[in-house]
Amino acid sequence: MITNFDKLCAELEKQELEAPNGVASISTYAQLLAIYLYQNDLCNAKFLWKRIPQNITSSNPEIMAIWAVGQKLWKKDLAATYHALAAYTWTEPVANIIRALEEKVRERAFNLIGRSYSSISLDTIVLMTGLSREAILQICRERKWDIQGDGVTISPTPPSQPAPLHTSSEDQLFKLTEFVSFLEN
Amino acid sequence: MASPLEQFVNNVRTHSSSGNFRELCEMIGKSEEVLQRNSAHLNTVLETLDIQQHSLGVLAVLVAKFSLPQGNPDVDRTMMFQQIHDFINNCNGEQVRFSPELYADLCHLLTDHLVELKQPIRGIEILKKAIRKIQLFDSQLTSIHADLCQLCLLSKCMKPALEFLDTDVTSIGTELGGSNDSKHFLLYYYYGGMIYTAMKNYDRALYFFEVVVTVPAMVVSHIMLEAYKKYILVSLILHGKIQPVPKYTSQVVCRFLKPLSVAYHELATSQHAAMRHREIFVRDKNMGLVNQVLSSMYKKNIQRLTKTFLTLSLSDVASRVQLSGPAQAESYILNMIEEGEIYAMINQKDGMVVFLDSPEKYASPETLCVLEQQMASCTKLHQYIQEMDEQIQVNPLYVKKSIGSHDEDIPATSQNSKNTYSM
Repeated sequence: MITNFDKLCAELEKQELEAPNGVASISTYAQLLAIYLYQNDLCNAKFLWKRIPQNITSSNPEIMAIWAVGQKLWKKDLAATYHALAAYTWTEPVANIIRALEEKVRERAFNLIGRSYSSISLDTIVLMTGLSREAILQICRERKWDIQGDGVTISPTPPSQPAPLHTSSEDQLFKLTEFVSFLEN
Repeated sequence: MASPLEQFVNNVRTHSSSGNFRELCEMIGKSEEVLQRNSAHLNTVLETLDIQQHSLGVLAVLVAKFSLPQGNPDVDRTMMFQQIHDFINNCNGEQVRFSPELYADLCHLLTDHLVELKQPIRGIEILKKAIRKIQLFDSQLTSIHADLCQLCLLSKCMKPALEFLDTDVTSIGTELGGSNDSKHFLLYYYYGGMIYTAMKNYDRALYFFEVVVTVPAMVVSHIMLEAYKKYILVSLILHGKIQPVPKYTSQVVCRFLKPLSVAYHELATSQHAAMRHREIFVRDKNMGLVNQVLSSMYKKNIQRLTKTFLTLSLSDVASRVQLSGPAQAESYILNMIEEGEIYAMINQKDGMVVFLDSPEKYASPETLCVLEQQMASCTKLHQYIQEMDEQIQVNPLYVKKSIGSHDEDIPATSQNSKNTYSM
């Protein structure tokens, strides 16, 4: 279901800039705001929220709800973010982006936990990921995080680094030639 | 139609068709007054000229028309946006490049108009196009850049400006360089710095403000002063201290800017300065940045702890950095780990935090990639410097001056040589 949000984002930005009188449609604003959040581009999201005309923001609960999520993300308050995400019944096409956003926030939270904690209580993970205890225990097993004897303390391991990207040797040789020829001259 | 106007139209036509654009420019420069005086007929003139074929003529008429004072009944500003929009879309780039000053003036007029209308966002797309049309290559700075940044800031829509700001400038348009007013140059870097600050790209913002402050100057511009204030604030956020300005900063700048920004300097030494000089900060509209400086102080203090300690309890962190409790310390540390500002492991069970060294071993393909990029940009820079050096060496003024000083040198050396002979 995930479409290419970057492309959509560029299109929406263009729509906004080309809108007559400088005011774009409600759906453009709503989607763009949600996509900025998805991209974790909070600065641009904040300024978008500030530049949407007031009569649109005040009459449109969905945009308000999206920004409510943005505010929580800005404050890095993960628990409240999930609350805000669940508090509104999203309509398409925003709903699609919001689903992707929620997944991404959760994924980031798990990565962060893995990187920053050598031991963490189950309750904190519940707060940071907005999942039920059972679901978390399941994920911990998948990620091979040790669950200690007391059943509520977890020792995460750092996420594995993505596989290094290989560059072709021809490319390397080209760069090396260029560099040497620069030094020689 | 009045006769001087007719003459103007005829001149534009003959020069345009024969391709004498340089002469046409001269003629246009002289006929500004004629156009302004006959403001009632300018629309008729526009109708007789073709945007594509007589770009320079149309440009002159449009500038003359829209620079008339506000109250003039002959000027209908409702069509202004549309007319300039059409012109920039359809004009002949090669022709208008003969008169970049006039072209830039038209863009300044459009900017002022949109600012007045409070619809700055409408101008962004058209100014982007305008810049691309007049530029000879991407890294050329024009005075329209400053207008674009201003509109982006006013409309709170910063992203479109970034593609221009991210390109390092290697050349300056003729209407901006030389002995012309430096206002638009200063403004471009000042606005650019503000946009980067808003985007929290403090590194780049600091560089932009530095450029403003280090422009060679005989007198201090107000833009420089404001840039210097923001330079201090961004420097405090980024480095926790005020970075000294480079040595090549003009003396006059150092002498005048510091006494005018005492409050900002005090901010570096005491946290109470924020409260004491609150009025100044609010008046300068820098309070938001000042608040960010304060919260970055906590981070800097935590970073300092990592240099001294290997392990520390969360409550110790809280008391040393003057946070309210272990929970707040934990959330600060967690945020800093996420931003990659420190490397640490929190052990929630024992309430301890272990500070680690950077896991970077500088042996990965990514490091190589970064190294290669840096080398490539250094090579590029070297090339630019060589090119500039060659240009200077063939500059008649430079040659004349260097020969002139050579002449003065010769008697001195010959005297010296005589001395050696006599000895």
